Amino acid sequence: MKAIPLESLRRSLEGIVAAFLATCDSDGAPNVSMISQVHFVDNEHVALSYQFFNKTRRNVLLTRMATVLVTDPVTVAVHRLDLDYEETQTDGPVFEAMKAKLAGIASHHGMEGVFRLLGADIYRIRSIEAVPCWPPLPAPAEHHLLAAVRRCVNDLDRCDDLESLLEETLACVERHFEIRHAMILMAEAGAERLYTVASRGYNRSGVGSEVAFGEGVIGVAAREKAAIRIGHMTAEYRYGATLRDTARKVGIVASLPAEIPFPGLKSPRSQIALPIVLRGALLGVLFAEAEETMRFGYDEEDALMTVAQHMGVLIGLLQDEQDATDPVEDIAPVKPDGIAVIRFHPHDQSVFIGHDYLIRGVAGAILWRLLTEFTESGRTEFTTRELRIEPSLRLPEYSENLDARLILLRKRLEERGACISLEKAGRGRFRLIVHCGVSLEKVIDAANSAAE
Amino acid sequence: MKGGSSGSISDSANGEASGNANPVDHIRLTPDLIALAQGGACVILGAREADGRPVVGIGVGARVDAESRIRVFLDRRPNERLLAAIESGSGVAVTFTRAVDHASFQVKAESAKTARADPNDFPEVGRQCVVARDELNELGLPPQVAAAFGSFNPTSVVVVELTPAAAFMQTPGPGAGSPVRT
Repeated sequence: MKAIPLESLRRSLEGIVAAFLATCDSDGAPNVSMISQVHFVDNEHVALSYQFFNKTRRNVLLTRMATVLVTDPVTVAVHRLDLDYEETQTDGPVFEAMKAKLAGIASHHGMEGVFRLLGADIYRIRSIEAVPCWPPLPAPAEHHLLAAVRRCVNDLDRCDDLESLLEETLACVERHFEIRHAMILMAEAGAERLYTVASRGYNRSGVGSEVAFGEGVIGVAAREKAAIRIGHMTAEYRYGATLRDTARKVGIVASLPAEIPFPGLKSPRSQIALPIVLRGALLGVLFAEAEETMRFGYDEEDALMTVAQHMGVLIGLLQDEQDATDPVEDIAPVKPDGIAVIRFHPHDQSVFIGHDYLIRGVAGAILWRLLTEFTESGRTEFTTRELRIEPSLRLPEYSENLDARLILLRKRLEERGACISLEKAGRGRFRLIVHCGVSLEKVIDAANSAAE
Repeated sequence: MKGGSSGSISDSANGEASGNANPVDHIRLTPDLIALAQGGACVILGAREADGRPVVGIGVGARVDAESRIRVFLDRRPNERLLAAIESGSGVAVTFTRAVDHASFQVKAESAKTARADPNDFPEVGRQCVVARDELNELGLPPQVAAAFGSFNPTSVVVVELTPAAAFMQTPGPGAGSPVRT
């Protein structure tokens, strides 16, 4: 039984103050160095950053013993951790969380390109000892994060559809955690990308902007289904490049639609991304950022992760309720005003109004499907259930995100000021409103026709 | 006692590149290394305990004489285990790191002596602490934290004396881990 739980030292493990590491070689000769990261894994384990194959590394592999001093950056309390090396991880959530944190630390210290994480060395903790170095400074006031989580959960339970859940989550994050810049992205199953479906605290909403799996803290959190955070500004985890690179590699640059700009802060110093997961399946990512350094610590990560997990459960519940549908209300047809040419590119399911990019992927296919039906039969009322079983939409087998795609589509139509809009028409139902004549044009691109 | 170097973080590719430094009696440190060691650097020490486990300690300053013998000043209370290991005949490693630019080197000795501190050294130790405190302030540490790290208690300071047998660069980047020019 350890007298001091590691959990109580997590502030000392943020990498704000360097840790000191000692090892011995097989002859007993000591070696001592600073180390960038001592990462909290659980109450029994820490992970140390392995960046170079150096003397420390050789010693650890030989003797499997190390000791490290960690310092609380606020109270200046120092603790000694005696450690036994267990294994090195070169991928997975712990590795990726450390890699992201290290990128921030490296950037902060002008060491980009020098610091590179080769592995996360996992150590079991033998003992923890307080070391009386300096008179302790006062501890900061408590944040009462548990109370904030409770209020958030309480507020979210009042949401009765996905759109209100998304908006209320961002409102809660601001109201109860004082986080002013946040967004929610949903996963495009099978495509290894996410699209922004709600945002708060930015000049433009960025709804529809995309992030590839593995790109930035958001994409890494999605790929690993793990919380990822950075406490300093770094170019390594920026957004925008990966999707373009991927597009180039698969040869679709020529027809890549104009990107919707990602709405993030220009100079964020702190970022955190929390996966929204339901029964092991990734639904999306809750993302927050700030201009201050080290805004999100281990405690904030725990709190926001709990909110994200609760979101996942609520999304699942809303999905289950969706099949119950309300009766259809008849509405008077809208008088057409002008004609809009709607162009659809089947290879990536992108839709353009005139020559202006609107949306792509499943949301694009949904709009095309609705407009086709509308022009053929004049129909304006639809159900989510029929979309779910519509083969032309190429929906994945589990389609938890269908509602999110409809929200995305509605918001994009609204932001574009299009003569077409969507509105809810009851539970599990929605209405297509077309204020203009529409002319549909399916564009088969020569470069991609072989793949059709 | 100077400990925190707001992220003067190196994970340096430290240590013997070859793993077998020449077993000469001792080496001479160059003026730039002496300046680094006496210039308010973060001073950390390593030794081996009786059961073979490593132990780490923190210094508050250092003085280097004309023969490159080093006296490291440290507070006895947080370093009891390190001092006991040294008094039992452990080898010693000492790493000096400058917070502002990560410049760093490590010296090693097969043994070291512990001694009482000479109060005549305290003004110099105090000066080094002030340099360290100012550098940590410059790096953005809160003033009270920098002040704590850049402080020492004269009533409990002891000395570890060693004659380095080898020295290695530890500044991150190319050349890290190589024996230093002496």
